[in-house]
Amino acid sequence: MEAIRLNEISLWRRTQEEFSYDFKKSVLSILEGKYRKPTKKLVLDRVSLNIEVGETLGIIGSNGSGKSTLLKVISGILQPTIGSVKVFGNIAPLIELGAGLDPSMSVTQNIILYGVMLGFLRQEMIQRVQSILEFAELEEYAFAPVKALSSGMKARLGFAIATDVRPDILILDEVLSVGDASFKKKSRQRIEKFWDTNTTILVVSHDLRFIQQWCQKAIWLDKGQIKFSGDVKETVEHYLSSIE
Amino acid sequence: MSISLNNRPNRSQLQRYWELLHVLVEKNLKGRYRGSFLGVFWSLLNPLMMTVIYAAVLGTAFASYYDNSIVNYILAAFTGLVTMHFFAASTSQAMSSVVANGSLLNKISLPVSVFPASMITANLVQFVIATLPLLAIMTTIISGSVINAIALLFPLLALTLVSTGTGFILSALFVFFRDIPYFYEVAVYGLRIGTPVFYPADVVPEKIRPFILLNPLAQIIESIRQITLSGNLPDLSLIWGALLGGVIVCILGWLCFKSLQHQFMDLL
Repeated sequence: MEAIRLNEISLWRRTQEEFSYDFKKSVLSILEGKYRKPTKKLVLDRVSLNIEVGETLGIIGSNGSGKSTLLKVISGILQPTIGSVKVFGNIAPLIELGAGLDPSMSVTQNIILYGVMLGFLRQEMIQRVQSILEFAELEEYAFAPVKALSSGMKARLGFAIATDVRPDILILDEVLSVGDASFKKKSRQRIEKFWDTNTTILVVSHDLRFIQQWCQKAIWLDKGQIKFSGDVKETVEHYLSSIE
Repeated sequence: MSISLNNRPNRSQLQRYWELLHVLVEKNLKGRYRGSFLGVFWSLLNPLMMTVIYAAVLGTAFASYYDNSIVNYILAAFTGLVTMHFFAASTSQAMSSVVANGSLLNKISLPVSVFPASMITANLVQFVIATLPLLAIMTTIISGSVINAIALLFPLLALTLVSTGTGFILSALFVFFRDIPYFYEVAVYGLRIGTPVFYPADVVPEKIRPFILLNPLAQIIESIRQITLSGNLPDLSLIWGALLGGVIVCILGWLCFKSLQHQFMDLL
């Protein structure tokens, strides 16, 4: 059974650095005849990918090769310029979750807010609050505002919300290392459980050893193109030999 | 290009949108008034103060247009000012909403339009709690009929539609041009002067008056005043005019937002 199918997707993105965010400047530059159309860069180049349910796929490549962009396309955050994306099942992005937490709202309210953003219903989240607080070891802070938490606690909270329910597809951008030693162990166990069940997992990491240990397959991205895809060992070997 | 993201297949997109709207509005209102219920009434302070100032300065000059009654002028100015205040506040809050949530949009796939929509909705909730009861009481006392008080909901709907459409356009433009607030401030100032908020429409020269009445906000204010202050039954043609303007602005705003939306992510 298929979990994800990418068919010849290409993505052009505007390069931000030369874009003027100024209405005044843009108008003046048009009047002076200096206006240039914003240049676009090819970030993903005809990427095709089929991932079966339960597969664990590592994505490797140098910085700026399009790894995170590919994950964003799969999560539906970015839409490809051409090509089609099909995803079967619900996706949980496991990313650094600082952005979604509202510092002045209480921990409980943040759990509900965040869960709804991830695609759950308010009612479901209200029932889940307790187990999430428990896992994050933040029961005492249930009604405290999030700004009262330390950064480690916030990371724990984010992790607990995103992994409380087993998603069909889990996305890991860089290996997680949140919290203190005991929480690290706990979060690792939880992720390992996903591996045992039939969850499809996509991992982006520079830690090749981690990828080799945890993934069956891998793809190597270079300048937006898939250079190699297949067995994880072979892919890593090809990637390493290209560096030397 | 096709995306089929079966994110929870058994739940409709509409329900997800509604849930998101709910939590975002709640977050917005809670953030504003942290625990104090009376805080909602704080939003009345601005229009009330402006009414006092206008009445003190211009009340006597314009009273002749309102059956020589300064009270009538005060009521007319107040109805105009609450409308204007709702529009200005909700649209300028909607303007920055997409950019403010840029980093979130880069992490989770969300329907972008829910952010400006939630700002307008938060202001609407506030209006319904604080301002609408006051207007409804005024209306019932002056017109002696509950029908008029209920009819207030129609111009309010029109006002919401106009603000939503404008909020969509502004929030989309703000992604591209971060100096839009400066221009919008000038535009709102122009609108405040150009809409018969604190003066009777009769003082405007004949030739210019049709242009002023093209402004959907002027239509809405006219309708609210007719319902609240005239003492007659609601004038349906004014209500239709206000609603028509609202629907047009809302559709234009939505189309503008949708046509620009695919470019947002590169700039957030």
